[in-house]
Amino acid sequence: MEVLREKVEEEEAAEREEAAEQAEHAEKMERMVRLAEVSKEERILTQDELRDLEKKMMAVEIPIPAERPIINKAIIDVSKLPPSYTTNSPKEEHLLQVADNFSRQYSHLCPDRVPLFLYPLNECEVPKFVSTTLRPTLMPYPELYNWDSCAQFVSDFLTMVPLLDPLKPPLYLYSSTTVLKRQKGNCFDFSTLLCSMLIGSGYDAYCVNGYGSLDLCLMDLTREVCPLTVKAKEVVKKKEKVSPKKYAVKPPRDLTSRFEQEQEDKRQQEIQALEKKRLREEEEHLLEAEKSKPDPLHGLRVHSWVLVLAGKREVPECFFIDPLTARSYSTKDDHFLGIESLWNHRNYWVNMQDCWNCCKDLVFDLGDPVRWEYMLLGSDKPYLSLTEDYDEGMDNDDDVEYLGKEDEDKSFDMPPSWVAQIEITPEEFETRCPNGKKVIQYKRAQVEKWAPYLNNNGLVCRLTTYEDLQCTKGLEIKEWYQNREDMLELRHINRTTGLHVDYFKPGHPQALQVHSYKSMLPEMDRVMEFYEMAREDGLIKREETPMTMTEYYGGRSDFLSYRHINFGPRIKKLTQNSAESNPRPMVKITERFSRNPEKPADEDVAERVFLITEERIQLRYHCRDDYITASKREFLRRTEVDSKGNKINMTPDMCISFEVEPMEHTKKLLYQYKTMIHLKNEEKLSRHQAWESELEVLEILKLREEEEAAHTLTISIYDTKRNEKSKEYREAMERVLHEEHLQQVETQLDYLAPFLAQLSPGEKLTRWQAVRLKDECLSDFKQRLIDKANLIQARFEKETQELQKKQQWYQENQVTLSPEDEDLYLSYCSQAMFRIRILEQRLNRHKEMAPLKYLALEEKLYKDPRLVEFLKVFV
Amino acid sequence: MSWPYDSMQLKVMDDNMLKVAVGEQGPQEEAGRLAKQEDILFKDVLSLQLDFQNILHIDNLWQFENLQKLQLNNNIIERIEGLENLTHLVWLDLSFNNIEAIEGLDTLVNLEDLSLSNNRISKIDSLDALVKLQVLSLGNNQIGNIMNVIYLRQFTCLQTLSLAGNPIAEAEDYKMFIYAYLPDLVYLDFRHIDEQAAKVAKIKHQYNIDELKHREAQMQAQLEDEQGQREKLAEHKLAFIEHLDGSFLFESLYAEDMEGNKLSYLPGVGEFLEAYKDKFVIICLNIFEYGLKQQEKRKIELDTFNECMQEAILENQEQGKLKVAKFEERHLQCLNAIREETELSNIEKKLIECSDDINELFNMLMMLEMQLVEQLEETINMFERNITDLVGLFVENVQSLMAQCRDLENHHHEKVLETAINYLEKILKGEMDKDLPDDVRALFVDKDTIVNAVGASHDIHLLKIDNREDELVTGINSWCTHLVDKIHKDEIMRNRKRVKEITQYIGHMQSELDNLECGDIID
Repeated sequence: MEVLREKVEEEEAAEREEAAEQAEHAEKMERMVRLAEVSKEERILTQDELRDLEKKMMAVEIPIPAERPIINKAIIDVSKLPPSYTTNSPKEEHLLQVADNFSRQYSHLCPDRVPLFLYPLNECEVPKFVSTTLRPTLMPYPELYNWDSCAQFVSDFLTMVPLLDPLKPPLYLYSSTTVLKRQKGNCFDFSTLLCSMLIGSGYDAYCVNGYGSLDLCLMDLTREVCPLTVKAKEVVKKKEKVSPKKYAVKPPRDLTSRFEQEQEDKRQQEIQALEKKRLREEEEHLLEAEKSKPDPLHGLRVHSWVLVLAGKREVPECFFIDPLTARSYSTKDDHFLGIESLWNHRNYWVNMQDCWNCCKDLVFDLGDPVRWEYMLLGSDKPYLSLTEDYDEGMDNDDDVEYLGKEDEDKSFDMPPSWVAQIEITPEEFETRCPNGKKVIQYKRAQVEKWAPYLNNNGLVCRLTTYEDLQCTKGLEIKEWYQNREDMLELRHINRTTGLHVDYFKPGHPQALQVHSYKSMLPEMDRVMEFYEMAREDGLIKREETPMTMTEYYGGRSDFLSYRHINFGPRIKKLTQNSAESNPRPMVKITERFSRNPEKPADEDVAERVFLITEERIQLRYHCRDDYITASKREFLRRTEVDSKGNKINMTPDMCISFEVEPMEHTKKLLYQYKTMIHLKNEEKLSRHQAWESELEVLEILKLREEEEAAHTLTISIYDTKRNEKSKEYREAMERVLHEEHLQQVETQLDYLAPFLAQLSPGEKLTRWQAVRLKDECLSDFKQRLIDKANLIQARFEKETQELQKKQQWYQENQVTLSPEDEDLYLSYCSQAMFRIRILEQRLNRHKEMAPLKYLALEEKLYKDPRLVEFLKVFV
Repeated sequence: MSWPYDSMQLKVMDDNMLKVAVGEQGPQEEAGRLAKQEDILFKDVLSLQLDFQNILHIDNLWQFENLQKLQLNNNIIERIEGLENLTHLVWLDLSFNNIEAIEGLDTLVNLEDLSLSNNRISKIDSLDALVKLQVLSLGNNQIGNIMNVIYLRQFTCLQTLSLAGNPIAEAEDYKMFIYAYLPDLVYLDFRHIDEQAAKVAKIKHQYNIDELKHREAQMQAQLEDEQGQREKLAEHKLAFIEHLDGSFLFESLYAEDMEGNKLSYLPGVGEFLEAYKDKFVIICLNIFEYGLKQQEKRKIELDTFNECMQEAILENQEQGKLKVAKFEERHLQCLNAIREETELSNIEKKLIECSDDINELFNMLMMLEMQLVEQLEETINMFERNITDLVGLFVENVQSLMAQCRDLENHHHEKVLETAINYLEKILKGEMDKDLPDDVRALFVDKDTIVNAVGASHDIHLLKIDNREDELVTGINSWCTHLVDKIHKDEIMRNRKRVKEITQYIGHMQSELDNLECGDIID
């Protein structure tokens, strides 16, 4: 092995001079190529011009800040980090050597390529190999099991800091734990964290070091359409073509001219084509305006992202995830301009394929050593495709190196990650964004996100869409809410029309589902939709305009499906009684019923119209099964002037009816009279219901206003952190437990302890000592009892004296006292009396209890295991 | 007959009495006035109360077709009669009468509440028709046999029963017995049945009830079995191949064939017969299966036809409805405009417009109907052709199969004849077996006799086969003609009905317009 390495080194040394020259040349060439790329659109430049440009470019180059600011150090307390952060284990050292060797060989073999991103410094200034910085972790949250939610979390949780030098990979790569603590990071930190999580949850994920577009590197989404605004494409249902049945009737002969039809079609098509063309042109125009200015550093900006390979976790094909925005891209996307290298927790691969056509032609077959140069041999090779033809001639020179590497690395495995366990606390997981708030700019849209419970009205997300690219003219606002007591879920405000639409989750006290309105004032245009299953009356929808109200019902036992009320203008009341409401007079009530299968169609009313001002009632019945016309009946009540309620003189001209199938019993006046009386009652009921509906609208509006003002949030009973009630309960439980514990300690109190302590330790008790011990203990207890009694007595006397004094004072000054003083005195008296009484009681109780307590202690002492054998004799 | 009551008090249920009762119990006030003015028809009456009238015979109730509630309590009725026509009766009160037996309730299938308390009934029966019975009151009667209660097990809806005041109610076990045998009962003698008590009772009578249940289940199963068989047979009859799924036809060949039966005693004939039977049965089964298949085909054909007809009619109806709805909307606007118009010339112009509209609607609806008639006509003709073809094919195939049967018969006949002649020769030669019965031996007198006998047997067989074939062919042909006739007739009826409906509607609209004209002119 040594020999081989020497040989390699010799070769290297020999080639070094050559290489130096070549490198210079190659560098120039490459720059030229890149410049050419930049100015591709212009024209092909001459050599001189190129040189000029090169010089200019050198001058233009962005001033690079000296080093990473040292402020970070203040934030990261290096001393508290585990030792693996500050030192390298021997295995890691070895790995670094291997990597160093690999890097050297690489730069020797491919002198025109930028140095590899292999072992950046960590937060403790210790070089660490990138693969060991990955710490595969499976998060304990089921929400973080899939790649999209993981990416979303990473993108939400961290704030993006652009790379210090956009053209070079960073010098430092922090551990994910530090990044999580700081909630800040560059694209490498993002992708390292995301990759750790994805590998942990079973994906075949890799960190990629490559080149991205300007938008990608700066997390600029202003040219992207906001995913929230994209409407789900309506799935066009293909109508199943029913094959004509054997006996299907032939359609009636079409007598229109076919020629005319064709001409008409042609004309229409022309118009459509014109319209389409116009639209397309407009679109193109718009696109032009939206297009970003060409980026002078296009293709040079370093970026890091995550590659997920197909295979594991049922991933059907490879794709990229941009960790900054959490969006997934196809591997052929225009934003990704090239790949230098990629790594996972086991190995490191260098891309040997040409990236002239972005990443579109790359083959992600990591087992193919021609396309992907691996660093460690011992690790698993995911896809060794045997079909690739191996170009012997080209690799002849490298054989030696390969051999050397193989021999060296075969026994070598990637050391375990030096990073500590990645942990995300539930609070952090819930808060997500730094400080719980995040704002993202999209094309013509802005999304603001908040953590739940951060806003006291429950707002968690707001999407504002704009008409123009500069985001000045708002079009509409969508606000998502969570945990609201009034179950409000989404509010949609259209700025142009002023229309508000509130969407509710099931559970609103009035079963409200959707409420769209322009103003909260009653009797204006509004639509309320309800969860009809939750309502007793089965109301589905209520639409209002200033003069009408329309209600739709479903699932009612009386089959009412529709009620429409027309209001007339308000009548001015002569008596100005403000307390009495002045409802709008109803002019017409139209009610429709669905078919009641239990009644014959001729008796099942389909529609009834109460023309209240005209005193007419119109009925239309349901159509019979085989008929096309329906029965109708109209009642005139003009003659009902009788003041005595129901007394109507029924005459045949009061009812005009048309019957599809004339029936005998309906001709009778009696039947008509009964129907009319019934209808009169129904009319009253309908009017009442309409009035109630109006009231209900007012009530709902009031309730909504109250809810809007209060906007209380609900807290789940499982949310132990926020639920005050459960917190109180828990604390109470803890207190009780604590007290119980104290009591227990007390009961176990050793009476003899202080007396035993007087004896020298280890000394054996003699009988005499035991007896003395007992006597001492008892006498001591007796003393305590007496002391206590005295104490209570003293207090009692003191209180009594004070009371007497006060009484005396009162009697002396009784005449001059103000009522307040008298009150004060009286209250004092009663309190004092109370205290005296209590003290008296305590004293009496003490007197009663003291002998018993004394006896109890004595008995206890006799039974004490330490004394029992000595005292037995006495008993 | 000696009247137990004073004859002065006796009343006869005649027309007058009923009229008075109806008048008294009918609508009051304004409605009453109208009712009187128009005369109430007995068939419109829903409820009638005839208590404390000293009625002896129930009579004259046949007109009350729609009566739902009838009270005849506190009379001196002795027999339940004259209630046959009151099929809509739900509530019947016959308490406090002198009834001795339950009878005459066989048509009251809707009855839910029956009161027969305070009578002289001694046996519960004749209630089988009352499948909806919920409440049965039999208090204060003379029912003496507790086992009689088991009769009430068949009424699954029965919830309330009263038997207090009967001799059986004095028995110690009375309540327990009823709880156990009528587990669905909720109230007994106007008291709610305690669940606990019911449980105890059930345990007590467990054994008997299980036995009873077992018997009932057996009966049920048997009934279902019979029902299933009947249904199957009906299905086969529909396919005109009943009794062909076995040896039924073959056995019928020999059922009336004396000679054939006698001949089967001949040695060798039995074997022929067996072979013949097997083959015959196979052909029968072929016919049977073919028939079922054809029946299925015909059914599908008919179903698709009906479905398509229905679809076409419905679509046409929808169009018609749409036209009518559109017209009505326009018409209403027109009428309103006329009402508001003041100038006479304008009114007239509008009226003419309206009437034109009506005419246009009429034309449109009629055109739709004509179109439908044409379409349906074509379809019906096509169906007719197809179904006749199907039937023809079926008949043809069955005939060819039947011909096979005949061939078999001929073949068998020849064999039997040959055997018989051989045997005759043997007999004549004197080599005869002793074991032949006398009547069979009687055939073997001479050649003519035996040939005649065999021939007669053969003729009978052929006749039977021919009959079966004829039956099948005529059956299916008549079915076919009936079907086609019915379809044609239905279509004509439908067309007439629709035309009538249209003319009626148009007539109504026109007359309404005319009335309006008159009214306006008067104004």
